[in-house]
Amino acid sequence: MFMLAMRSIRQRPGRFLATLLAAFLGAGIIMTFNSLYDTAGGPGVDPVSSDTLTTSASVVGGYGTLLVFFAVASTLTVNVRQRAGELELLRCSGATPGQLRRMVVGESVAVALIGAVLAIGPAMLGGRALLDVFQDSGQVAESVEPSFGVVALMSGVDITLVAAAGAAFLAVRRATRARRQRGRARTLLAYAALGTGAVSVTSTFAFSATDEALMATPAYGAILLSVGCALLAPRLLKGVLDRLPLTGASGWLAVRNLRRRADHLSGILMSLILFTAVSVATLYMQGVESDAVKASGAVKTVDAKNLQTLNLTVVGIIVVFVCVMLVNSLYAATTYRSQEFGRQRLAGASPRQVLGTVGVEGLILTAVGLFFGTVAALAGIIPFTLVRTDSVLPHQGLGIWLAVVAIATAATIGTSLATARRVLRTPAVEAVGLAA
Amino acid sequence: MFRTGSGRTHETGPAAEALRLVRVSRTYGTDDSAVTALDGVTLSLARGTFTAVMGPSGSGKSTLLQCAAGLDRPDSGIVRVDGTELTGGGEAALTRFRRGRVGFVFQQYNLLETLTVAQNTVLPLKLAGRKVDRRRVREVLTAVGLGDRLGHRPDQLSGGQRQRVAIARALVADPRVIFADEPTGALDTRSARDVLRLLQEAVRVHGRTVVMVTHDPVAASYADSVLFLADGRLAGRMDVPTPDAVAERLAHLGDDVTAGV
Repeated sequence: MFMLAMRSIRQRPGRFLATLLAAFLGAGIIMTFNSLYDTAGGPGVDPVSSDTLTTSASVVGGYGTLLVFFAVASTLTVNVRQRAGELELLRCSGATPGQLRRMVVGESVAVALIGAVLAIGPAMLGGRALLDVFQDSGQVAESVEPSFGVVALMSGVDITLVAAAGAAFLAVRRATRARRQRGRARTLLAYAALGTGAVSVTSTFAFSATDEALMATPAYGAILLSVGCALLAPRLLKGVLDRLPLTGASGWLAVRNLRRRADHLSGILMSLILFTAVSVATLYMQGVESDAVKASGAVKTVDAKNLQTLNLTVVGIIVVFVCVMLVNSLYAATTYRSQEFGRQRLAGASPRQVLGTVGVEGLILTAVGLFFGTVAALAGIIPFTLVRTDSVLPHQGLGIWLAVVAIATAATIGTSLATARRVLRTPAVEAVGLAA
Repeated sequence: MFRTGSGRTHETGPAAEALRLVRVSRTYGTDDSAVTALDGVTLSLARGTFTAVMGPSGSGKSTLLQCAAGLDRPDSGIVRVDGTELTGGGEAALTRFRRGRVGFVFQQYNLLETLTVAQNTVLPLKLAGRKVDRRRVREVLTAVGLGDRLGHRPDQLSGGQRQRVAIARALVADPRVIFADEPTGALDTRSARDVLRLLQEAVRVHGRTVVMVTHDPVAASYADSVLFLADGRLAGRMDVPTPDAVAERLAHLGDDVTAGV
């Protein structure tokens, strides 16, 4: 089975590109941040520098790891689902479920390992650049030497491999079961995330307005809440669809497609919700924080400004990562629909109608993702703002939110439409004949 | 460019001739690797006929069907469905041409997995922006024996049932010509017989025109006549076919081709 796994990677490298990209980016981000631990542990690092480095590594590395885990898992799930036909064929040719599992898990781990190894170089550079930012902002002494050691390497490789193996295991188990029942574990996990998120958000009130760690709990809380929403996404999506009066052939088809594919779309919705929640929550909290510092008088304004730059850099990296994952999984999911589009066209759909259907689907997905992402973000922002400034909502205006909405919409709809256009270049008769 | 009658007259309807091909050629690939799938095929099918197209693999059966149905564009020649000529334009233009004129039944059913039986059946109407007559949809589905399966999805149906949904889908839009590409290729003999009877009924009872590509002499024997195709050219015609006669002719067709080469 392992030989079969290796052969299947060699024969169709394109199929594993999405997983490879996810593993590469994920491992890169984890290693970049965790290399700060290595740097902090280096000889001759003063306690202040060490403290700053460790704190940033744990705060950002913590939820970064969570995001990476979900990103790799969702890409892999899409990949395995697309091969349902191939797995079925193997099952009919006498492969036991255990053999299939070993094959798919073996493939995924191999691809993830390649991704993680490829990411070592960029992560070294990234860690160095990150340290430069810290040193420029004066938070870390200039004398500190960048280091890339065991912690970065082990955490990056381990997390990526565990995420890949776990996701592949779950995905193949789901794919090889004849009748698949609603995962109770998923629901449990979702409620756990929502519960922990709620606790985390509420515990913000336990801090005083000037605590340095004040931002950590609501930020974590918002992210956990968004993970919970993301896990419940299929159910939320179905709820929305039932209340959607859409007319016209494209809209009609889009609603029916989404209702049936709700479970498959959870990965994409997850990226959307996480993207919205992380960017909105952090950017607004940072805005509130900066304003509060400014209002309290010009103490440490230079430091605060530097801290802000650093925060934005870090959030920027994570947001870009989630955005890339969103585009990645959306591209994979849309390419996979070539056969379905072919059938629609043979049933009399013009290319414009197919694109219309894809567009409406993208619009509904974006709206649902943005809504729940915003709700999760608000759940973090409001307690933070209450504690920090005594007002309920931040005074930053809608500008940031609108920018996030614009990016999410452009990424989702742009990717689906561009991919669908490309897919439609294959003549319909050929498209339906292609093996899935 | 002028239209010639098919010899049979019809009292009503838009055109007596459901399908006409004039010197239709289609070549795939370029230069050295070029394969001529259709080589100047001319044929004419009257309205209300059931025609089977037969030939060995690679004889151009599927290409003929795709060119005639407006799924593919011939390199040269004229294709006319229900008196209207297929002219240039993109896929959107081809799609509009097919709507209302052409219905399809494929070997692999090509139903949408996300839609129910009833939704699959009305899909072509929805896409064409036509009004959906629920009563008629139910009638058609009942006629193909699926009146009690309206809310099922394709993956809950057997192959034969799926193909009957596909036939209902082709019938409900009232097309001038129904093209069937190996409609029984993936079915057991009993389901195949049901499907062939339904196609036959569509012609004899409802006066539709059906063109069916098949390699199965038994399936072909359900048609009114059989057209034989070899190396992209028409190689004969048989009226009132029987399975044995068709099989024998097909065997000889193979001989002729080899002898010719």
